[in-house]
Amino acid sequence: MSLNRYESQTRGALVVGNKTYHDITEDICAPVEAKPSKLWWIGFIISIVLLIFGIVSVTVEVIYGTGQWNLNKTIGWGWDITNFVWWVGIGHAGTLISAILLLFRQGWRTGVNRAAEAMTIFAVMCAGQFPIWHMGRVWNAFFVMPYPNTRGPLWVNFNSPLLWDVFAISTYFTVSLLFWYAGLLPDLATLRDRAKVKWRKYFYGLASFGWTGSTKHWQRHEALSLVLAGLATPLVLSVHTIVSFDFATSVIPGWHTTIFPPYFVAGAVFSGFAMVQTLLLVTRKVLNLEDYITIEHIDVMNKVIILTGSIVGIAYLTELFMAWYSAVNYEWFAFAENRVNLDSPYGWSYWIMMGCNVLLPQIFWFKKIRRNILITFFASILVNVGMWFERFVIIVTSIYRDYLPSSWSTYYTPSIWEIGFFVGTFGLFFTCFFLFSKYFPVIAIAEIKHILKRSGDNFKEGYTKEENESFEKFVHDNEHH
Amino acid sequence: MSQKTYWQGFGQINDPESARKHNHDEFKEDLPFEDFDSKSLIDAKAPRRDFLKYLGFSTAAATLAASCTTEVRKAVPYADKPEQLIAGESKYYATTFAEDGEVTSVLAKVRDGRPIKLEGNDLGFTNGGTSARVQASVLDLYDTHRIKFPLQKVSDKFEETTFKFIDGAVAKALTAGGTTVLLTQTINSPSALEIIGKFPNLQVVNYDGISYSGMLSANEQSGFGRVLPSYRFDNADIIVSLSADFLGTWLNAAEQSAAYVKGRTIDEKAPKMSKHYQFEGYLSLTGSSADERIVHKPSQTGAIAVALLAAVGGSVSAPSIADAKVNAAISKIAGELKAAQGKAVVVCGSNDANVQTVVNAINSAIGAFGTTIDFSAPLTSRKGDDKAFADLMAQMEAGTVGTLIIHNANPAYDYVNADQFKKALSKVKNTISLGYRLDETTALCKFIAPTHHYLESWGDAEVKGGTISFVQPTINPLFKTRQFQDSLLIWSGSTTTYDVYVKDFWSAKLGGESAFNKVLQEGVYKTTAATAGSYTGGSLAAAATAIAAYPAASKDEIVLYQKTAIGGGAGATNPWLQELPDGVTRATWGNYALISMAKANELGIKLDTDYEYHPEKPVIKITAGNKSVELPILVMPGMNANTIAVAVGYGRNETLGVTAAGVGKNIFNFASSNGTNVLYDASGITIENTGRKEPVAQTQIHNSYEGRVEVLRETTLGAFKQTPNEFLDFRNQLKATYGKGTNDFRKGGTLYGDHDKPGIKWGMNIDMNACIGCGACVISCHTENNVSVVGKSEVLRYHDMHWLRIDRYFISDENNPDDLKGVVFQPMMCQHCDNAPCENVCPVAATNHSAEGINQMAYNRCIGTRYCANNCPYKVRRFNWADYTGADSFKNNQDQKIVGKLDPVVHQMNEDLSRMVLNPDVTVRSRGVMEKCSFCIQRLQHAKLEAKKDNRPLKDGEAVTACQQACPTNAIVFGDTRTEETAISIVRANNPQRLFYSLEQLHVLPNVSYLAKIRNSEEIIEKEGSHAAAAHGEEAKH
Repeated sequence: MSLNRYESQTRGALVVGNKTYHDITEDICAPVEAKPSKLWWIGFIISIVLLIFGIVSVTVEVIYGTGQWNLNKTIGWGWDITNFVWWVGIGHAGTLISAILLLFRQGWRTGVNRAAEAMTIFAVMCAGQFPIWHMGRVWNAFFVMPYPNTRGPLWVNFNSPLLWDVFAISTYFTVSLLFWYAGLLPDLATLRDRAKVKWRKYFYGLASFGWTGSTKHWQRHEALSLVLAGLATPLVLSVHTIVSFDFATSVIPGWHTTIFPPYFVAGAVFSGFAMVQTLLLVTRKVLNLEDYITIEHIDVMNKVIILTGSIVGIAYLTELFMAWYSAVNYEWFAFAENRVNLDSPYGWSYWIMMGCNVLLPQIFWFKKIRRNILITFFASILVNVGMWFERFVIIVTSIYRDYLPSSWSTYYTPSIWEIGFFVGTFGLFFTCFFLFSKYFPVIAIAEIKHILKRSGDNFKEGYTKEENESFEKFVHDNEHH
Repeated sequence: MSQKTYWQGFGQINDPESARKHNHDEFKEDLPFEDFDSKSLIDAKAPRRDFLKYLGFSTAAATLAASCTTEVRKAVPYADKPEQLIAGESKYYATTFAEDGEVTSVLAKVRDGRPIKLEGNDLGFTNGGTSARVQASVLDLYDTHRIKFPLQKVSDKFEETTFKFIDGAVAKALTAGGTTVLLTQTINSPSALEIIGKFPNLQVVNYDGISYSGMLSANEQSGFGRVLPSYRFDNADIIVSLSADFLGTWLNAAEQSAAYVKGRTIDEKAPKMSKHYQFEGYLSLTGSSADERIVHKPSQTGAIAVALLAAVGGSVSAPSIADAKVNAAISKIAGELKAAQGKAVVVCGSNDANVQTVVNAINSAIGAFGTTIDFSAPLTSRKGDDKAFADLMAQMEAGTVGTLIIHNANPAYDYVNADQFKKALSKVKNTISLGYRLDETTALCKFIAPTHHYLESWGDAEVKGGTISFVQPTINPLFKTRQFQDSLLIWSGSTTTYDVYVKDFWSAKLGGESAFNKVLQEGVYKTTAATAGSYTGGSLAAAATAIAAYPAASKDEIVLYQKTAIGGGAGATNPWLQELPDGVTRATWGNYALISMAKANELGIKLDTDYEYHPEKPVIKITAGNKSVELPILVMPGMNANTIAVAVGYGRNETLGVTAAGVGKNIFNFASSNGTNVLYDASGITIENTGRKEPVAQTQIHNSYEGRVEVLRETTLGAFKQTPNEFLDFRNQLKATYGKGTNDFRKGGTLYGDHDKPGIKWGMNIDMNACIGCGACVISCHTENNVSVVGKSEVLRYHDMHWLRIDRYFISDENNPDDLKGVVFQPMMCQHCDNAPCENVCPVAATNHSAEGINQMAYNRCIGTRYCANNCPYKVRRFNWADYTGADSFKNNQDQKIVGKLDPVVHQMNEDLSRMVLNPDVTVRSRGVMEKCSFCIQRLQHAKLEAKKDNRPLKDGEAVTACQQACPTNAIVFGDTRTEETAISIVRANNPQRLFYSLEQLHVLPNVSYLAKIRNSEEIIEKEGSHAAAAHGEEAKH
């Protein structure tokens, strides 16, 4: 009684179930070492099928041209760039969790960072597909690389935000990948050491780069993690800032908006966390990791969702206000007529966006709902639906009716190959994620051990028991011996 | 071997030292071998790194060379090069386009033996102006569905035969008994008429697809003879058109529009223009340019003409017209007509002789004859006689016609009662067609002696009395064809060939072969005009009485009209023309029913977002008696509430080829008759909503410019006089606001420096008052720049490729969109912005700016991100969504199966024959690259090179863009804006009050300027734009 009084109760235990260090290793390595479950196989096969559909869709598009998509002379970008921005946005949470939260010393991140980082990498891989395959002549895609050449030399156009994208995304991808892999090294070594079959030993041995667990290794590992975290932190902010420049630097009403960089970053974190939420809710269930990814984690991430969702909501309203306040009729038309007006052809998409991104997250003001797994699961999916529509609204509803009414476009609906491409990236994403969950520890074994407060908890538990006991009983018990 | 030294030049013996030095310095840069300069190659040291470099390069080169094979297509050089022919140099030959009643003197540009482009002949009566159909006619030469050899029908199937066989058959037929008749489209070739005269017993029946027979008869009765006059719209202050589409398809539209626009040009110092009233039932191209339109049912045209005659003081009693608006307009217009005595004209598009007789009386009353109507230069291109044709059918039915020779007439398609003609034709024993394609009539004939294209022919055409335009071949006949004059010569028993015949014919008239050669080179020969008849007033009373007895207007009526592109159907086989968006509806590929909004509402058709944003339009069923047709609708403003308008020329036979077949419906059978003449309207029709939908391929779906005054400027003459500086003030305000300190919008509006670029700076100006929306420029651009044809299915997906489009906006009352106030045509192409938003977003710098102010595309650098198109505020960039041209590096990629199936016409355009029309100076773009207007940079470069060769500066007017060249009304001016004496600089300097740049406020600094559209009306439009710009189609949206 007396001791508990002086303990601050800010947050519950991050690992529950009275785990020992050994238990953690056993629990997290179990899915990697066991045979994949039936559920895993079903999921994996579905993912592969989706991936194949995607590959077919892209192949058809490359052979026959971009006309395989229903874009037109007015709407030059549709699902392709919408999906690109959406996936890049999703790819924000992992690095944010790993890097920024590492710098802020948020212990709870260790339960989710590995999976979130993997998700980031896969999401960026998916995102990268779109700007590549949306090119009319993709076989000349290497033209975007500033390499010395014999054409004059002919350089890329450093003024173009699309070129900045190339640099921003490739840098982000590289750093994220390194960061993720650096974190994996000790865990891969653990798997190597536990391996009972030759190929596992060989494979994990190769992958763990000769990690021995020596103090020197640990020291370097920590230093590297910190350096990479430092590098990754500005990238988290810069990637989506630069993606937003694609639109912000243009002359098209609805695109030409200075608020875009922070607005895009907030949106990206928002959708990224929602995606992490969706995935982890499934993973913890399927891989029996409820003790490591606890309700506490879900609660915390829901708080991030409501924060970023509200930032995004303010951005939406600011945009609307500025469109009115600017007194530019083109700007006002883009917002009032193309978006807000529910009777306009795409008015519905604006209101889906508003509903999913601004109104829906407000339910997380209630702790009960934040800790309700089912509601969180569906809400996290809806947030990403909303965020997809945000990009669709920005891209399509701005250009389909811009300056010259003569060029206003007919209604745009995706063709089967556009849908196929999008679905295919889901296939890619989940194929990678299933392979990852099968062959890599989904929770950072080494890192989560840092936050295991078992001895303290056990002591507290035992001590509380003793404190509450009556003196007579204590004497009685002791006399008995 | 002795060491003899040989000297190679005097330098070597006389001054061996300097010669050695000279040899040594011959190559300024060292070759990349170390020590190569002083010693022999064998001794040169190739260090390890160099060696590896060479090894690497040669291995890579060998691999590439060995693995990448390019298909070899042979270009066979001349074994004997024809004299005066230089490969790669274009030659121009004067010749004449004559088709379907339209005659224009042209210059054919022949490049390496192939005619590839037509330009107007400045000496011709159109002064270099052309029409869309003239421009497109060069493609007809390479039509894959031409008849390529003589045919003979054997048990319902055509088989190849020889001219000799046909000549024999004809000779037999001519002597076999029964009358011999030549059924022909109006022939205006004097020499051909002479040949026809040589036949002993040949009955000639003139038949025009669109008949002007009523007008001819009326003129005959009025004392002018059976001729059509020339109209001098430039002399008219008041122009009243009773449903005559004189800027589009009526008579010689190219010439008429040039004259019309002369009277519409505004001098800013003393603004004045002619006033154009248009009476019509539907919104025609001509009506779109009118200052005031009075809509009425087509059956009322006669009554209106009589009422107008009565109002100008004619001795007829005015009929009662129920519509008060029409009555008011008539009395107002009559007053103005009388006041403008001698400076006014009334034209009428009706083929009803009675109506035309009344119109002649009006013109007589207002003193039009001799001033605005010129009978001394009568048009000779339409002589078709409805009565003669009806008589011929009676003869055929009676079986008295033994042999029928058909030349260019197609009554099996375009006659009001085509079935009757077909039946009659089957009773004729010998039917011979001198056709060009297997059209509906030709396909029914027994023998076909196919004729040349005019670019393969010799000939002459009397355009109008006193003006002869010559035809000369520009290419050897591509197929086994024979021009019809040759066939007639042979059948008449003559042994001379037509080329000799026509030369002798004109040499005799002109006094020698050299004189003939001269006019042949010039293309046009003018002789003294005929004497005009004078107005006698004949049969006016009878005509007025007849009109009074016409049945009253029925509830719903239909009017048949021609599109400028397709005409009466002659353009239907031409892919360029099919893909040309109609000036008014902006629709391509097919016909549809134009209906008023009131009618749509009555039919229960909801004009909502779906209607506007989806190409699928509701289908209505139009029934007249036992005929019915189902067509998708397009709601147009400015329609009479109960009038439906449908374009003719569609619904063609399969035999005409993939372009024409299956596109639209034939509506000719809905024409009516007043007993003698065919009338292209009908009353007593019923309309019902089928509840189905069919797609209409429009290239523009929104009709209002939403009051966006930065996009375009238009006003009324009254408002312009009141506030002449309205547009200028806006521009000055931009300067004052953004050019603070400098008072220069260009320099002041940017954070970055503006560099001086000396030399030429190209610019274009378009006078929107002169643009009538005819589309000649669009086709000219299409031809010149190898723009691909994408077909209906792709236009429906909004994938049209036109570099130049004519945006059309309706200005109508917000509350009553059927009340159309005006129409604005804004030709829109790449504006070549000096601060181009497309240029800075391209990641690979594939689009960039030239020092001469041209926004350029490097196609082979383009990777197709489409970012530039998104960021173009004018949306003029066009992307190659599929391999439309067959120029792609991927093979067999035009067989899309699920999405984006290409129409057969795309494949037709990719056949070798069609590809002969391609301009070798312009790259054919492959799929995946962006393209757009280049200001015809190939023409500019050519002109600059010519000037350079002559070592002189470029003269103004030497560099002419294709659109500028084609424009019949000279709406487009192009040139160097940096020199003050150029036409473009002068036009800009002289019109400060009307000058504007589209979206100038964006500071993209376009190089295309416009002159505001001004309608001649006293109405003062309220400010704050929105009222004036109230949307038609906006209603559809909400």
